[in-house]
Amino acid sequence: MEKKRIDDHEPGPVPSPRALDRFGFVKQDVSASDSLVKNRSAFENERIREERRVRKWRKMIGVGGSDWKHYLRRKPHVVERRIRKGIPDCLRGLVWQLISGSRDLLLMNPGVYEQLVIYETSSSELDIIRDISRTFPSHVFFRQRHGPGQRSLYNVLKAYSVFDRNVGYVQGMGFLAGLLLLYMSEEDAFWLLVALLKGAVHAPMEGLYLAGLPLVQQYLSQFEQLVREHLPKLGEHFSQEMINPTMYASQWFITVFSYSFPFHLALRIWDVFLYEGVKIVFKVGLSLLKYCHDDLIKLPFEKLLHALKNFPEDAMDPDTILPLAYSIKISKRLEELTQEYEKKNGKVVQSEELSEKHKFHESKGTET
Amino acid sequence: MNGDEEYDYLFKVVLIGDSGVGKSNLLSRFTRNEFCLESKSTIGVEFATRTLQVEGRTIKAQIWDTAGQERYRAITSAYYRGALGALLVYDTTKPISFDNVARWLKELRDHADANIVIMLIGNKTDLKHLRAVATEDAHTYAEKEGLSFIETSALESINVDKAFQTTLAHIYHIISKKSLSSNHPSAPTSAIKEGSTITVHGSQPVSNNPCCTS
Repeated sequence: MEKKRIDDHEPGPVPSPRALDRFGFVKQDVSASDSLVKNRSAFENERIREERRVRKWRKMIGVGGSDWKHYLRRKPHVVERRIRKGIPDCLRGLVWQLISGSRDLLLMNPGVYEQLVIYETSSSELDIIRDISRTFPSHVFFRQRHGPGQRSLYNVLKAYSVFDRNVGYVQGMGFLAGLLLLYMSEEDAFWLLVALLKGAVHAPMEGLYLAGLPLVQQYLSQFEQLVREHLPKLGEHFSQEMINPTMYASQWFITVFSYSFPFHLALRIWDVFLYEGVKIVFKVGLSLLKYCHDDLIKLPFEKLLHALKNFPEDAMDPDTILPLAYSIKISKRLEELTQEYEKKNGKVVQSEELSEKHKFHESKGTET
Repeated sequence: MNGDEEYDYLFKVVLIGDSGVGKSNLLSRFTRNEFCLESKSTIGVEFATRTLQVEGRTIKAQIWDTAGQERYRAITSAYYRGALGALLVYDTTKPISFDNVARWLKELRDHADANIVIMLIGNKTDLKHLRAVATEDAHTYAEKEGLSFIETSALESINVDKAFQTTLAHIYHIISKKSLSSNHPSAPTSAIKEGSTITVHGSQPVSNNPCCTS
């Protein structure tokens, strides 16, 4: 990790130490640590498996990612399979930059980030400051007032709000940036944000944040339709109870599950999201509903809404929910629904194209 | 959350106001008696209920908490529809959040029912040394606009219940007056037993679901 940018603000007191989980979040309950102790041997097996995986991955990406593109061209399906199993945590930051196309943006734009952070001013600065302490408030890196985590988060969001003044800063973007900052430097996180919002490899995400939140509306409408088609009984139950996806799924799309989902699950989703694009958000959403189908279908409005915001722990296990998500095929239908939606509502306009200077061309095959 | 209890009325209420004024903590204080110092900004909409007694009637408040940032109104304004009450919150330490009350009122006029009951709430009175909006100014403004007004501290749990209860009582008065003045035996407001009916001013009875469908 590169050195974090430091500004002149005096950091606040370092928060008193509290028990943290392995990702740096303050532990919510004691029972979680109990189960960890009970499963020590399982934990040890997991560690050995992880080491073997890291060796394979290192071979695949080469030193600093030098072999990556070559490997990707030759064996895209091996890459997809391995990513779906989860990127080793120690390589996550690097691999995310490789698969999102952000590494190329960074290399093509030396000094741009620094310029944006130091010299430019943004009309969103106060909005950003207001939300800084409200982004991952229980993570050790972001808890200290004006500490390195909060300052990095501020810098990245401010830089983006200047880079694209049409998007500026919208609540939710902080969770994207925050998640990235736990795995890479400020400048790397900034370019990954650019790659996502401007669409370096996949469909641009910026429509999620532009005025009117047009892409949120589109995705929610498509999601509602997919629920009706894949889970017709539940879809019918939702309409009877007058439940619509803005009530529970906006956050799924706006923050790509980073807002309120268990962090280990969010990371696994992000691995796939960066490689395969937004369809994994639809797939995970559908698979959560599918997994809990028989319970959800019995619940009246209030309990239903509560359940949709508080999925049970077993549904949140990546090794349960992700294989289920991979088994749901939606690509073709999603494409049709996009066309239908655009015909009816017009295409979601992009604020501006990724300028030639920032543009990055990379074609890669994925999708099943 | 318990959705099974019996109630006479179900009132839908929305919490609106600038980002960071404390809407989510007012809601958690009222519905769960909790205050979270490490709370996250609200993305989209959140929902909670509480059932309480107002003048001998059991009233269930169904409260929608909305993201405060202007751009989110694209999603949140749909939730104003069918709301009988609105708690319009500003932060007593942030004059800009008070200045923006006028814009929130316009939002309500554009999207909510015309006779929605509105309570103006100045929150964060616990931050005494940072106060920047005088009680008197807010009071005068509320009177001019025909709003109820109260100052609260969600942190210290001051006036939070009162703010909600006053609003719910106000809604109840309007509705019971309506049902008294109505000669029509099957008027929607006459169906107040068994908790199966929500009464929305002059509109159809709806089941105990939210009234937004967008």
